[in-house]
Order: sequence, then C-alpha cells, then structure tokens
Amino acid sequence: MLAQQYASIKRDLDDKGIVFSFSGYLSEGILYSLGEALREKMALEAADGPTIRRVFSVFVEQMQNIIRYSAEKMSGTAGRAVELSAGMVTIGMERGKVFIVCGNTVRNSEVPRLKERLDHLKSLDRDGIKTYYREQLREEPDDGSRGATLGLIEIARRASDPIDYDFNAMDADRSFFCLKVSV
Amino acid sequence: MDCLTIPATGRTPGVSFDFANGHLRMTGESYPDDVAAFFGPVFEALRSFLDDPDGGPIRFDMELLYFNSSSAKALMNIFQMLETVAKGGRSVTLTWCVEENDESMRELGEDFAEDLRHVVFQMREMPAGGPP
Repeated sequence: MLAQQYASIKRDLDDKGIVFSFSGYLSEGILYSLGEALREKMALEAADGPTIRRVFSVFVEQMQNIIRYSAEKMSGTAGRAVELSAGMVTIGMERGKVFIVCGNTVRNSEVPRLKERLDHLKSLDRDGIKTYYREQLREEPDDGSRGATLGLIEIARRASDPIDYDFNAMDADRSFFCLKVSV
Repeated sequence: MDCLTIPATGRTPGVSFDFANGHLRMTGESYPDDVAAFFGPVFEALRSFLDDPDGGPIRFDMELLYFNSSSAKALMNIFQMLETVAKGGRSVTLTWCVEENDESMRELGEDFAEDLRHVVFQMREMPAGGPP
C-alpha cells in the first residue's frame, strides 16, 4: 500500500515531466540548495551559461515570491530568528522547454491586485516588458510589495511564452495561487 | 578607508573597492537572502569615498554574472551615486562586463545605462565560462 501510494504520486509528477518538486516549508537555504541542483543538472545536460541563468533567474524570483508573500508562514526563534513560508515549487521539461510552476496560499484580499499586475504583464509584448522594467527599476517599491513588481517583470522578461497563472479559492479568506513560466 | 574587500560567496558578490586608486570592482553573483544587510555596508563605504571633494577619477568594473531583482535595485542606487559625482565634474567610467552570447545581461546593462548622462558607460565582452 505504502509504496503503491507514493509510486502513484511519483508517476503523476513524472507524467507532467516534473524533475524537481518540493512542497512544504521553504526557506532561503532551500532556495540556494535547490537552485544549485537545478544548475548542476542543466550543466550536465550541456545547456549554455546564458540559458541556465535565464531559468535560474525565474526560479529565484518565483521562490522569493513564495518566501515573502505566502500567506502560510511559521516564525519564531530556534537559536536564531527563523521564518518559514509554505508553498510548492516544481520544475520540469515540456516540449523541449523548462517550466517552473510555483504555488502558495494568498489572502483573498490580495487577489485583485495580484491579478491586475499579472494581467498587465501578460498584455505586454517584449518591448513593453522591457520599458516597464526600466520604469520600475527607477521606482521606489510601493507599500507592502518589497519589490515584487520588479521580480514579476523579471520573470515575464525571461519567459519564452506568456506567463500563465490561476487562483483556486480555498475558503472565505484564502486562495491557492499558481504561476507557470516556461523558459 | 583605503579599501573595502568582501570575498564572494555562493550568493553574494565579491567586492573590491580600491579607494586609493579609484578602482572599484564587483564580481560573481548577487542574490543575497538579505539584500539590505549585504549592501548596507557597501553603500556606506562608497558614500564616504564619494563625499571626498578632492577625489580623483573613478573606474567601476561591473563583472556580475547574475543578479536578482532586489540586487538590481541596489545596483541602481550605486549607479545613481556615481552619476551624481560625475555630474559634479568627477571623471567616472562604468564598464559593464558581459559573457559573450549573454543577451539578458547585455540588455540589463542598457537598462542601467539609459539615464547615465555624465558617467561614461562602456560594455565589455568576456569569454564564456566566467571572468579569468
């Protein structure tokens, strides 16, 4: 039973082309280690430096978005100050492209603003994204965003297809947010 | 302060600011877990160096291979500080180094260069595989 259940989870991941997956509490340490493994795997597959860095850049911005904005956090002291943010990250291959899907819980009150940002990014072409990046690079971060805008633009800029996102309502207060990016 | 030297780690850049000779350099990669904690001391040292009214010419070599969006904001701060002193008449040359074929990094250089009017900006290509 045990092996059968977990084999079925693994088969689901394999069927989606997923080669890395993590679900649970994320930290900057996990970002670093998972990022290293991702780069090593791509280097072994003989990807060139600029391609690896493009994928890595999307990975870092996606992970840092979860770490900063997940609505499911644990914090306290364990010898030192610790803050963990729940979420999931999956990286896979699909039609010859790397894709990264990240998911985390967000407060429903944040959904309209996040949707607006993502729809705006989706409406822009390459030059539009570049201009938007240049503008935001010179802006002070707005309240509560801690620089999220530039991070999302960076993600859209490195993507080879338009970014894809979705929300799934969990209860009256929270939704599960997913962002898929192909590079 | 004559110099500021911070060795590179896996996720924070190497900083070698040779203030005595006006030669400043950043290498490696930048995606610190705490951007403010890393760049705070860098800004502070740079600010006191730039405040010196008798300062000579400045060469800044930007040799980062990768930086995240929060580091981009910090770099923008640095370049705005350089632009301010260049506007005041000090000679400042910023060299943006890119690995050949790294179009993303080349474009980022152009993004930063856009509003440098007084700093001399130049792009330099490095062979793939990182700086020697």
